[in-house]
Amino acid sequence: MRDIDKRYDAVVACKSASLQVQPGEIRALLGSNGSGKSTMVKILAGTVKPNGGEILMDGAPVTINSGLDARNLGIATAFQDLSLIPTMTVLDNILLGVEPKGKWGTVDRAKAGSEVEALLERFHINCDPEAYVQTLMPSMQSLVEVAKAVYQKPRLLLLDEVTAALHRDEVQLIFGVLRELKAEGTAIIYVTHRMNEIFQICDTATIMRSGETVAHVNTSEVTLDEIVYYMTGQRPEAVSPHEAEAAHGDGADLVLDVEHIALFPKVRDISLKAYQGEIVGIGGLEGQGQPEFIRAVLGLTRPDDGRIIYRGEEVHFHSPADAVMANIGFISGERNREAMFPDRSVGENVFAGRAAKGGLFRFLTDRKVRDFAQAAVDKYSIVVGSIRNPASSLSGGNQQKLVIARWIAMNPTLLLLDDPTKGVDIHSRRDIHKILRQSADEGMTIIISSSENDELLEIADRVYLFYEGRVSGVLSGASKTPERLVAAMMGLTREQNGAAKETRQA
Amino acid sequence: MIDLKRAFARFRRSPAFAGFTLFLFVVILNILVQGPGQFFGMRNINTLFSKNMPLLLATMAMAVLLIAGTLDIAIGIQLALVNVVSIMVMQQWGVSLLVGFALGMVAALVASALCWLFCSVLRLPAMLASFSLIYIVRGINVLIMPNPQGRIAEVFYKTYDSRILGFIPFSAVFLILVLAIWAYLMRTKFGRSIYAVGGHPRNAFAAGIDPVKVQFQAFMIKGFITGLAGISLTLMTASGNPLQAEAYGLRSLSACIIGGLGFGGWGSMASAVYGTGFLVLIQNAVYYFFDLLFKLIPGFTVTSYWQNLVSDIIIFLGLLMTIVTAKEQREALKQGFVKQFKGGDSVAKQG
Amino acid sequence: MLLSKAEGKMALGQHVRVFVQSSPARMAVIISVLLFAITVAINPRSLNLNSFSSILLLTLLLSFASAGQTMVLIGGGLDFTVGAVMSCAAILTTYIMGGQDGNLLLVFALAMGMGAAIGLLNGFCAVKIDLPPMIVTMAISNVVTRLSYVLTAGTFSGYAGPAFVESVVGKILGFIPKLTLYALVLVPLVFYLLNRSRFGRQLYLMGNNPTAAQLTGVKVNKIRILMYVFSAMLAAFAGMIGAAYMKTARCQIFDEYAFSSLVAVIVGGTAFTGGIGSFAGSIAGALLMVTLSNGLTVLALTQPVRNLVQGIVMVLLLIMYNRARAVRQ
Repeated sequence: MRDIDKRYDAVVACKSASLQVQPGEIRALLGSNGSGKSTMVKILAGTVKPNGGEILMDGAPVTINSGLDARNLGIATAFQDLSLIPTMTVLDNILLGVEPKGKWGTVDRAKAGSEVEALLERFHINCDPEAYVQTLMPSMQSLVEVAKAVYQKPRLLLLDEVTAALHRDEVQLIFGVLRELKAEGTAIIYVTHRMNEIFQICDTATIMRSGETVAHVNTSEVTLDEIVYYMTGQRPEAVSPHEAEAAHGDGADLVLDVEHIALFPKVRDISLKAYQGEIVGIGGLEGQGQPEFIRAVLGLTRPDDGRIIYRGEEVHFHSPADAVMANIGFISGERNREAMFPDRSVGENVFAGRAAKGGLFRFLTDRKVRDFAQAAVDKYSIVVGSIRNPASSLSGGNQQKLVIARWIAMNPTLLLLDDPTKGVDIHSRRDIHKILRQSADEGMTIIISSSENDELLEIADRVYLFYEGRVSGVLSGASKTPERLVAAMMGLTREQNGAAKETRQA
Repeated sequence: MIDLKRAFARFRRSPAFAGFTLFLFVVILNILVQGPGQFFGMRNINTLFSKNMPLLLATMAMAVLLIAGTLDIAIGIQLALVNVVSIMVMQQWGVSLLVGFALGMVAALVASALCWLFCSVLRLPAMLASFSLIYIVRGINVLIMPNPQGRIAEVFYKTYDSRILGFIPFSAVFLILVLAIWAYLMRTKFGRSIYAVGGHPRNAFAAGIDPVKVQFQAFMIKGFITGLAGISLTLMTASGNPLQAEAYGLRSLSACIIGGLGFGGWGSMASAVYGTGFLVLIQNAVYYFFDLLFKLIPGFTVTSYWQNLVSDIIIFLGLLMTIVTAKEQREALKQGFVKQFKGGDSVAKQG
Repeated sequence: MLLSKAEGKMALGQHVRVFVQSSPARMAVIISVLLFAITVAINPRSLNLNSFSSILLLTLLLSFASAGQTMVLIGGGLDFTVGAVMSCAAILTTYIMGGQDGNLLLVFALAMGMGAAIGLLNGFCAVKIDLPPMIVTMAISNVVTRLSYVLTAGTFSGYAGPAFVESVVGKILGFIPKLTLYALVLVPLVFYLLNRSRFGRQLYLMGNNPTAAQLTGVKVNKIRILMYVFSAMLAAFAGMIGAAYMKTARCQIFDEYAFSSLVAVIVGGTAFTGGIGSFAGSIAGALLMVTLSNGLTVLALTQPVRNLVQGIVMVLLLIMYNRARAVRQ
């Protein structure tokens, strides 16, 4: 018997989670944001080391310390963010590490070539094996990623959200291959956020919540509502996508009106309105187009389609600098990558927004920078040793407060926040919420995207839920309930006939 | 016919295409200003090969490193190192020049291992670390050979300038040797690993490839090719000079970039050949072009510095050209995006 | 630098690294003084006003050349045209002056204009072209060098005006070179650009984290082009001063400065990765490089040994400054 049993004790990501899969079984691994399902996949793939627990294969304990170990055990993984090497060809990528040996220590390319041709044919991948991966479309790259994993003829195949970039027909193609593999006795673990796929392809499902495995079920024995309940602890209550649009009608000025914006590949069709003094939340599972949407409003990327109307005028920002000039602020939750200047001082970090605005060669005293920063640090109670210390000396929570202070102190008309409390301690998070609410009361318009539902329900006046690049629900006032939020997050919307149904991409 | 079309389409998309276009351009330019008879004449071809083989080999050595995602601008001075070691071993110990060559090769390998230590193991910025190496190697060179001296036996340089079977330049043997070894390596596992390490070290590591080890192999191959380049330089100049060829380091880098090699896993050995060909032939063409002007316009005189200026401007434009061609590849990528977005159904091929 | 017993467990190298990274400028000055002391100890005759004066003069010249490079490195770029621009400006100066002082203002205007034009080309190419700035600026540097050959036919051309020469190499109180007076203008100017203007603030932010700077509203392309323009203009100015120091100029006379300025800037604590550094550090770095070279000359070390020492010292400096950062990333 080949079964994999896995117990695992880590601090945050996974708490004694377990997972079992039999040969010839397709098991769905489900969970909401940050439930630890990706961590589980990475442990099996050998890219993350578990702090505890054990992995059993065929009843015997095994250790997986690297991708090589995993491959030797017959485990192959297709990752959502792809493990392909963009500057190499499709053929070379599929063969990488498992090249068939020919004469004189060479790689038998003729044999490999025909094998890969057959493999691509099986997936109906219509591309030249000698094409460079970086020139392929994203959906094609995803297909190649799956094909690469299948080529290794694994006993256990891990698929991590590989269908996210795929079209419906392409998903069916993959399913066809998966069914064949299943018949051949391959064990498959399938991670997805598309609920309808589970019932189509999976036999069983393991559901994770906050790092724990909360249920092991047979998909034939449960309903969609039950699965969502296990995932979120809430019974879903489907909503219509446009229900709450008019809810904010008390005559406040419309600050931002986004109409049918589209930005390939993540944002398909999103409209959003934000009124003065309002906190608008954006929620949904990870990777449904939230960050791309916010960056399009900021002018970092230019949308393919749609209009952005800001303060009554249609705007075309060429760069974030234009948006900043128009009194828009942006706070990213990706602190290290997109917000912090780790080697510069705390004072300079607070002053950064100011530094970006105004005459380039105007005399600017150090004192002015320091006073501005000191005032902000005092006002928002950021714990710093000295504002002269480098910003990297601060704790994560204080770093995020610092970034927020940077913008609030500029008093922007519209403040965009992309998951600002990610990885921030509870105390700082409460402070941040207080600052945001206070600013909104003073007339600032705030759009905040968050991966945490509680946060959205707590702070936002209205919540837009994104699902696969579209708005799957808008909640406000009385309709702002955890049940509805969960339903919209999973893409369950009520159509005219009143039945709960998953929104499908057109 | 369709196969030919497909092969051409592949070639067009390959990174060497940009370099090939430029190369073709200068060849045509040369034919235009010199006339095909003179340009393709045996003597001209032989001279072109024998005079430029050191640079060509240095560029190929650089290409190996670029593919592996690192670089070494001290390649140039390492040619001089091989040169001085070969000559001094011959002079001081009274042994055959061939023994000198063997020890010169060892010196090149040691210098390459040192550069590997700096760049891959100590993870110093390759550009600055190898720049420091220039000083170190230059110092060693002069310690070994205080001033230009030495003379190799006539048989060696006569052979180097000779033609095999009357038409293959002897110097081309080096080129063929390196290309053959490289072609073999490209068909082994190493050939895939080096591209993977250069292109995406993290994913390569996940696929069970050790980047530091692969870069060591790359540095050793580079050392071997550098050794050959140094030998070729010695045969060409027939004497020893501790301070020559230093500029080859930066020139070989330019040649690689012009030929279409990128930093890390992008481009091929062909790119190096085209890039060097472009650099060398553009100077040739400009020289003959001015020659033509002197003849056509009576009283027209300019200094030879003009030729250098014109060829360097063309080299700069050649660098700019690679941006245009690279953009085309980016454009193809963008087109794919648009296609996918506008017509989802038409893209997914029906079973 | 005394190690307590508890700290003794920490590797000595780590200690040195922490100390060096906390203030590279201070470290560079300390090493310079030590080097000078060693030089004097070995050869007491080298302690005289002349050598002091010449160290000061060369340090200032290298500092001027490093000013632009400092800026570009802080902004996360690299400018290889410094040497070629200096040489070209020096030739321009001697050529137009022709041993007379009358044309000084014209020379100044022309040199600045030339610097600005080359800087603009550098900046434009660095921004628009996806190649490493090293490659692009190197190609441009070659073109500039060739251009200067065409202009001069490769020979010495003219002389700097005597009054101009005197204003650079002349001495105050018998040992302070008058070049110091230029420094009194240039150093505050660079300090203002880097530390007291929005341009400087944005430059540091951009060098430290270009993505964050862009998202914060910094027009990164504009700043990047400007930094190359300033760099080339400062190099052109350094070239003019260099012409006065040398009195006459030929092609490639200051080419060595492309690399030595880079080394001085790195030694002065400006990170190759951008976002960290100061002009004061570069001046200290220049001092270190000049005393090192002075010491090697005074000790009558042969050229190859000097090269060897220089190379090894540079590798050691790289290990101290740049390696720790790579690990973090």
